[in-house]
Parts: sequence; structure tokens; C-alpha cells
Amino acid sequence: MKVNMPVTENEVMMKDGTILVTRTNLKGVITYANDAFVEISGFSYDELIGKNHNMVRHPDMPAVAFQDLWESVKALRPWSQLVKNRTKSGDYYWVEAHVTPVYKQGVPVEYLSVRYAPSRAQVNEADTFYRELNGRRATTIRPVGLAKVIKAIKEISINKKAGMIAGAFLLPNIFLMKQFYDAQQLLPLAIVALLSTLACILGYRLVRDVTGSLGKATNMCYQMTDNNFRNKTDIDRNDLIGDFNRALYGMQVKLNADMAYMKQTGSESLRIKQALDNVSSCVMVANTNLEIIYMNDTVKSMFKNAEKDIQQQLPNFDADKLLGANIDQFHKNPAHQRGMVPNLQGTLTSELVIGSRHMNFVANPVLDESGSRIGTVVEWLDRTHEVKIEKEIENLVEGVKTGNLSARIEMADKDGFFEKLSQGINELTDGIEGVFSDINNTMHSMATGDLSNKITNEYEGVYDDCKGSINATIDKLADTVGQIRESADFINNSSQEIASGNNNLSERVEAQAASLEETASSMEELTSTVKNNADNAQQANQVASSARELAEKGGTVVISAVNAMAEINESSNKIAEIIGVIDEIAFQTNLLALNASVEAARAGEQGRGFSVVATEVRNLAQRSAAAARESKELIQTSIQRVRTGTEFVNETGVSLNEIVGGVKKVGDIISEIAAASIEQSQGIEQVNQAVSEMDEITQQNAALAEEASAASVSMSDQSTNMINLLQFFSFNGAPSPVNRAVDQQAPPPVSPKPTLHRMNKSQAKDMVGKSFVETSEDDEWDEF
Amino acid sequence: MANDAMGNQSNMSGQYLTFDLAGEMYGVEILKVQEIRGWEKVRNIPNAPDYIKGALNLRGEVVPIIDLRVRFAMENREFTPVTVVIILCVESEQGTNVIGVVADAVSDVLDIKLADIKEKPNLGSKIDTRFMRGIYVYKHNMIMLLNVDKLLNPDEFEGLPSLL
Repeated sequence: MKVNMPVTENEVMMKDGTILVTRTNLKGVITYANDAFVEISGFSYDELIGKNHNMVRHPDMPAVAFQDLWESVKALRPWSQLVKNRTKSGDYYWVEAHVTPVYKQGVPVEYLSVRYAPSRAQVNEADTFYRELNGRRATTIRPVGLAKVIKAIKEISINKKAGMIAGAFLLPNIFLMKQFYDAQQLLPLAIVALLSTLACILGYRLVRDVTGSLGKATNMCYQMTDNNFRNKTDIDRNDLIGDFNRALYGMQVKLNADMAYMKQTGSESLRIKQALDNVSSCVMVANTNLEIIYMNDTVKSMFKNAEKDIQQQLPNFDADKLLGANIDQFHKNPAHQRGMVPNLQGTLTSELVIGSRHMNFVANPVLDESGSRIGTVVEWLDRTHEVKIEKEIENLVEGVKTGNLSARIEMADKDGFFEKLSQGINELTDGIEGVFSDINNTMHSMATGDLSNKITNEYEGVYDDCKGSINATIDKLADTVGQIRESADFINNSSQEIASGNNNLSERVEAQAASLEETASSMEELTSTVKNNADNAQQANQVASSARELAEKGGTVVISAVNAMAEINESSNKIAEIIGVIDEIAFQTNLLALNASVEAARAGEQGRGFSVVATEVRNLAQRSAAAARESKELIQTSIQRVRTGTEFVNETGVSLNEIVGGVKKVGDIISEIAAASIEQSQGIEQVNQAVSEMDEITQQNAALAEEASAASVSMSDQSTNMINLLQFFSFNGAPSPVNRAVDQQAPPPVSPKPTLHRMNKSQAKDMVGKSFVETSEDDEWDEF
Repeated sequence: MANDAMGNQSNMSGQYLTFDLAGEMYGVEILKVQEIRGWEKVRNIPNAPDYIKGALNLRGEVVPIIDLRVRFAMENREFTPVTVVIILCVESEQGTNVIGVVADAVSDVLDIKLADIKEKPNLGSKIDTRFMRGIYVYKHNMIMLLNVDKLLNPDEFEGLPSLL
């Protein structure tokens, strides 16, 4: 027995729904394998065809299993078992294998093997079973011993079984009938005999019916395996056998229809193959292992033509041995293609350069109805000559692109489309060369400043437009240059005026800066003065405060004085009263003295002395009265004076109060002055700061004015330069204002504008005295 | 010389009480003076002449008081603290009557020699000058010496007797 080594432990799983089909002849040599089988086996189709089927056998399979297979099929019986197969690389895969002989005219001609994907439970059971068989070196996979006997009993034919059943049934009946006969009970005997006979007849008919129907059905099945689908059977019976016949008949009709469909599909495929054989495109088909399984005539002749060129690079290439060969041979790096082509989902377009041949190939995947990959169709195109012409045209176009217009395409080896194309390209190049030569000529003249050289050749279309544009450009340029010359002249004059004006401005700004600096220092002095003022006001405020206090004290003194005066007045009044009393007393005394005199006189000579006394008393009294009168007058005067003094003191008090109020007001005013001085001081500081900023800004202005002055001077220089540059251009009959401008290069009067300015200012001043009717002059003035 | 002669002629002198009335000095014989009193309010006497100020109770004796200003038709004047009432003893045919006169003030008691008394001016017969005794010149002032009896003769009073 053949042992295929080596093996690995890798299991390749069959895809669900796929069927592996092979055909072998009666010797077991493979005559056909479907793509699924080729794919899973790992061998190529060519490697499989003509080889014995045992090349895919796995060493784990017991030999007795295959022995049983051969015994079965040689006995013309189908065989079904789980089988472990080996791939080319040593991996293994499990299949549920069905092998059946195929008949032609009732004679077996070959064996058909069909394999399905097994379930894992089946695989495990079979694996265990085969390990056990290998372990005990069994000679058969069939049941042996008692199992074999039971199996043999089970498989006894229906006729034999029916005979046995009849015998078993009849023996007791015959025994019963003999009993009845012996007992001369004829009626029961007759009934039993009748029933037994009836039962035997019915049983016989039943068995014959079943076996006859089965025989017909079997015959019909064999007819169908031999592609004969027009078998008659009884489909009108209403029993179980009728059902069986109808099912079988339905199957026959379905198979016949499928067969017709298959034939149609086959003929369609054949038609397409014929068509492909005869198309002018080069078409080649490969299976999933990238082996070439079809080539049409065109591709064959194409490869035959190119064989020598290809052999330069691929020495093993043989155009006659392509069919069945792997397309790897077209590639220097087959692994790349291996990776790419089987996974191809859409169209793959590629170019190959083999030897000196340029090949285009277009690969498309071929899919079956379920969308799985069954192969690849490849179209080839030999583009070698085309590529050569393309290269030539590309070189020319590249030359034209890079400005080389002298090259032309060789016309000798061109025909057809390429001839016309090459001729067109040459003419195109001629045209472009002429146009560019003219443009170049004119532009070169422009570059040297000559604006009189225009394009005179006649052109059409865009070239004519271009010619027109260039000529218009030259005209416009000449015009523009003329205008620029005038403008430059004007700018030159203006810039010099601006320069002098900027100089003036710069000087004025500097003067302004100096004035501002003086202002700033004045402001600082003013600040210190105001600060002094504030301090003085503060001191004045303090002085006013103390003055107010003193005035208030004076007020209290005045009040005391008034009080003292009042007291003096009171005392004086009392004195006056006292004096009055004295005066009264003096008066009374006088009266008494007079009365005494009167009495003395009456007394006559006796009263003479008394009279003298009375006279003395009267004199005293009179002196007293006089003294009292004088005192009274004095006191009256004193009282009068005290009253006047009181009034004065009161007036003083009022005045002092007014003074206090006044001093208070003075104090308030001085405080306000102090506060105002402080605010003033702050204000002045701000003003000072502002003046400093103004000073800074003015200095920046001065710097800017200087820069502007410098810039305007350089602008003036630039404009002079520009005028010099513009001299470069020359054009037809144009007057050259440049010369005039250049002649005037001596600086123009420096400050005509300021003169005008002053004049207008004086005019404006004059106009103040007159009227403002003519405002236009004012506006003009304002613009300066 | 003349004075000496007159002095020799009548060497006797009399004392006169002088008093002031409306700035003029008047004098009365001191012996006619009973008493000098300060002014005090008097009991008015109805239906008496306006120069009779009223009556004064002088230690039980009713004394009529005469305002000399009014009597002499002088400008009337308020009484002052120095206004005095001079109680005079008037001798008439009916006997002695005590009558008070109001003077602005008493001045002095003068010893006047009779010779020094000038005659009253002669003003004709129509003008009554009976109440004047004479004029005494004292320190450039003319002192009119009054004849109390004539001046204060109750007969001369109108309505007075009925009162009395």
C-alpha cells in the first residue's frame, strides 16, 4: 500500500456547501477533478490527472477501509465513509466520501467520487474509530461475529422472509386443521382452511407487489444513471407504492430538466469558448492556482511571435507548453503575483516589459454563482511598436516643452494613424517655431529699448491674437513710457519742491521743539511759584486763625469792660443820690439857719450873737450846698462819660464780632485759596507733563520731518535716476520729453511755495478788512 | 461922700431876708418873717384867686399861701426842691395876719442900712407901686425890698376874706 509522507498536524477545513468531485476509471486512475478538489488538494490539475487516486491518501487511514471501498465498488455497490485525506504540503482534511460506479448501457465504466464537508461530531467519531482499527490491525471495517450474524439475518431477502412468515403461520393452522379433521369437526376445519388459503394468497400478492414495484423502481434508477429519463411507471396507484412511484417519477422529471439545463449551459459555455478562440484579442484564463487552463488562438500566435524576445529574459519560456503551466513563469518575482492575483476583486491593469517586448495585461476575477473565486481571465496586448512611436513623440514633445523646436519626427517608418499624427506634430512644431522666432525677435528689440520693431508676419487664431497683443503691448508701452517720462519730469520738479518744503518744515518743527522746551521750563517755575502760593496761603490761614482767636478774646474783654462801666455807672448814680441827700441836708440847714436868723433878729440885741452863729451856719450850709452842687455836676459829667464809654465799648464789641466773622471768612477764603493753589499746582503739573509729551512728540515730529526731508531728497534723486533710465527707450517719431527734463537737472527754485504761501496769507489778512465774498481765495489759502 | 452923710443921717439898719423869684432878688424885712419852710403840698382853696395856692396848716393855724409869681404876673413855673414858703406876719387894720408866700429860693439875710435903700422909681400915679419899699443894690444886683403889709393886705385879696 502507498504511504504518502510527510504529514503535518495542520487541518484544512472544507468550506460548507462545496462539493469535491473526482472521476476515476475502473483502475482508480483520476480522469477528472473539479476546481474545489484541485484547490483543497494543493496539487495542480495536471499533477492530478492520470495519477492514481491513492496519491491523496493519508497514512492515518487504515488500509482495510480502502480494501472495503474496493470490495464494495467492485460488487457494484456505492460506498460511503468519512475519509482523512492528505494535501500536497502534508496537511490533512476530512471529507464525507461517497463513491459509486457509473454505468453505460448497464455496464459500469467508471467510479464517481463525491465528497461533502463532515460535521465535527462525525469527524471525532471517525477519528476514534480509525485509531481503534489501526490499533487492533483489523482486517475489515465491517461488523464481525455476532454483529455479522445479526446483520445477515437483517438482510435476508423479502421473499425468504415472506416464506418464513407463511411457514410459521401455516404450521399451527395445519396442526389445528388436523385436530379438527381428527375430531371430524368439518365446519371449523373448512373455515380455518379457507381463511388460511385466503391469507396465503393475500400475503403472496402483497410480497409480489412490493418486490415487483421495488424491482421496477431499481431498474428505473439504473436507467436514470444511464441518462435515460423517459421511463414509465405506474403513477395512478392510490396506495403507498403509488406514492413511492410518484416521488420517483417526480425525481426523474426534475433530473431530466436539470440535465437539459446542464446541457444548455454546457453548450453556451462551448459557444463562448469558440467565440473566445476566434477573437483578435489575446485572452487567457487561469484557475485559482494560477495555472493556465485556456488560451485562445490569438494569444498563442502572439506568444509565438514574441517567444524569442521573451526568452532573452526568461530562457525557460516555451510558447507551446503554456497551456496547463503556471503563469508564475511570466514574472521574475512570482510571490508578488501570488499575493496579488488570487485576491483580485476588480480589474487589474498592468504593464510588463519582458525582453524588449512591452506587454499590457488586464486581469479580471472569474466568480461562480455564489460569488466565490474560480479563476482569472487575462487579456494581453503587445504594445512594443506603439511604445517605440510613443517614445519618439514623447521625446519631441519633451523637446518642445523645454524649448527645443529644431527636432522633427522621422516619417519613414510610420504608417496609418501614427504617420498622420507624426506629420501633424511636425507641422505644429514648425508653426510654433515660426511664431516664437518672431516673438523672440520683437521682444529682443524691446529688451534693448527699441519699441519700433513690431511683428509683421500674418498669423491666424490665437497666434494672431498674440501678435496683436504684443504689438498693442509695444504701442501701449511706448505710450506709457512717454507718459511716464512726462510724469517723471513732473515728479522730479515736485520732489525737489517737496524736499525744500520738508526742510522748512523740519526747521520749523525744531523751532517749535525749542519753544516747547522753554515752555516746559517756564511751567516748572510756575509750578514752584504756585506751590509757594499754596504754602503762603496755608500760613496766612494760620495767621487768620490766630487773629480770629485774638478778636474773640477782645470780644470777651469788651463784655467785661461793658460790665465794669455799668458798675461804675451804678456807683456814680449812688454817689449822685448821696450828693442829693447832702444837698438836701444843706438846704434844710440853710432853712434852719435862716429861721434861726429870723429868730435872732426878733430877739433883737440879745439875738445878735445867735444871729452871727446862724449866719455862720448859713454860710456853711451854703458852702455845703455849693460843694454838693459841684459834686453833682461832676458826677453827672462822670455818668455821662461812662455812658458814652459804654456805648463805645459796645460798638467795639460789635466791631470785634464783625472782625471775628470777617477773619473767619478770610480764613475760609485763604483755605480755598490754598486748596485752589494745590489743585492749580496739580493742574500745572499735568500741563507740565502734557507739555513734556508735546515736547517729546514735537521732537519725534522733528525727527520725522528730518526723515521726510531726507526721503524727499532721495526721492528727488530717484526721480532724476528714473528720468535717466527712461532715456533707454526709443520709439517711432515720439518727441523726447526726457531730454528736456534732463536738461533741467539744475535744482529748481527752492521755495516758491512758501513765498506763495506768505503772499496768500497777506492777501487773506487784507481781505479781513474788506469782505469775505471771494471765499475761493480763502479755500486756496487753506489748502496750503 | 453922700453915702457917708446919709449914713450919719440915719445910722440905724435893718435885717432883710432876700429871696429869688424868677431870677430877680427880692427882700422882706426879717422882722415880718415868722418862719421859712420848704415847699409842701397845700390844701386847695376853691373859688380863690389863682395867685392863692391854697391853705397850709401851720401848727393849728390856717395860713393862706400866695404864689408871688402869679401875683406879680410872672411866668408860672414848676416847684423845685429849693422852692420855699416864707411865712410872713402881715399887719393891717384888721390886725395881724399870717400869710405864706412861695419863692423860688431863699438867698440870704442882709443887714441893710436904711440910707442905702434907694427910693422906689416913680412910675406915675396909675401904676401901683405901694408894695415896694425901696431898692437896695447889693453886689451889682438890685434887690427889690417889698412892703409886706401893703403887698399882702388881705383887703387887697379878692375872695379871701370870705374864705377866712
